[in-house]
Amino acid sequence: MPFLRHLRVLVVDDTNTSRMLVSSTLQEIGVLHIDFARDGRQALDKVMADAPHLVISDFNMPNMDGIEFLEAMRAYGPSSKTPFIMLSGKADRDLIQTAARCGANNVIKKPFTRQSLRAGIEAVVGRLQ
Amino acid sequence: MNSASVNRVQVKEGDYRVSGDPNVVLSTFLGSCVAVCMRDPEIRLGGMNHFLLPGDDDFLDPRHAERFGVHLMEVLINGLMSHGASRDRIEAKLFGGAQILSHGRDIGQANANFARKFLRVEGIRIVASSLGGDRGRRVEFRPCSGQARQRRLPLNTLPGVSPKAEMPDLLESGTLEWL
Repeated sequence: MPFLRHLRVLVVDDTNTSRMLVSSTLQEIGVLHIDFARDGRQALDKVMADAPHLVISDFNMPNMDGIEFLEAMRAYGPSSKTPFIMLSGKADRDLIQTAARCGANNVIKKPFTRQSLRAGIEAVVGRLQ
Repeated sequence: MNSASVNRVQVKEGDYRVSGDPNVVLSTFLGSCVAVCMRDPEIRLGGMNHFLLPGDDDFLDPRHAERFGVHLMEVLINGLMSHGASRDRIEAKLFGGAQILSHGRDIGQANANFARKFLRVEGIRIVASSLGGDRGRRVEFRPCSGQARQRRLPLNTLPGVSPKAEMPDLLESGTLEWL
C-alpha cells in the first residue's frame, strides 16, 4: 500500500493516552509516518514548519482548542486545503456545524473504533487500500 | 453545614458530574466499577465519573475497551477544564474495583489498573485511593472541598438490610477526609 506508507499524519490531543491510542490505531491501519502535538498552538507551529498530508485533532484542548487551531490553519495559505478531521467526545450537531463552517473535512466521535477511524479517514482522503 | 442544604447527586455508570457548589455531594454505588473523583483545589471545583470497562470479549476490536475508558476519563477532565480548572492542578481520588464474583476474570482489578495507569501517564496526582477487595462501596465526594467518604457494603446484602446501617470503615492510607 504505497499511499499509506507515504501518508504523513499529525495527531493533536492534550491527553497522552489518547494520542497513543490514535497512533496505535493508525499503525494498525497501516500508517507509518505519525507526528504529534499536545495542543493547537504546538500543532500550528508544526503545520507551518512542514505541512502534513492529514491532521487528526481533538476538539477540547487548553491553550488553543481544535476549532481555533482549524481556523488558524485555514488562514495560513499552505495549509488552507490540508485535510482536517476533528475528534470529539461531544460530536453534537452544534460542534459538527461549527467544524464544517470552519473548514473541517470530517468529525469522528470518541470513543472511536478502528473501523470508525478508518472510515472517517477514507471519507476524506479516499480508500486506504 | 446544615444537612437540609445538602444536594445529593447520583453518578450512574457511564456518567460523570462536575460541580463547584459547596452544598453538592456526588454519590455512587460501586461493585467492580471504578469512580474517579478529580478536583482542582485552587478553584474548589471537582467531579466524579463512574465506569466499567467492557470486556475484550464484547468487541471484535480488542482495543475498544481502552478507548472507551479513556473517553470517560477525558469527558471528566474536559468538564473540569471547561469550568476553569487547570490540568496541572487536578488531583484524583479513586474508589471501587472490587472482585464481587469469586470466580472468573477479575474485572474490578482490570478497571482499577486502567484508572491508575491512565492517571500515571497523564501526570495526574492520586491523593487517595481505596481499590479492590471483595465488597461493594457506597462513595460520597464533595467536589468543592474534596472531602470523600465511603461505606463498604455487606458481603451478602440481604433484601431489606440497608447498606447505610454499616459504619464507615477507616482507610489505611489516612489521606481521605471523613465528613
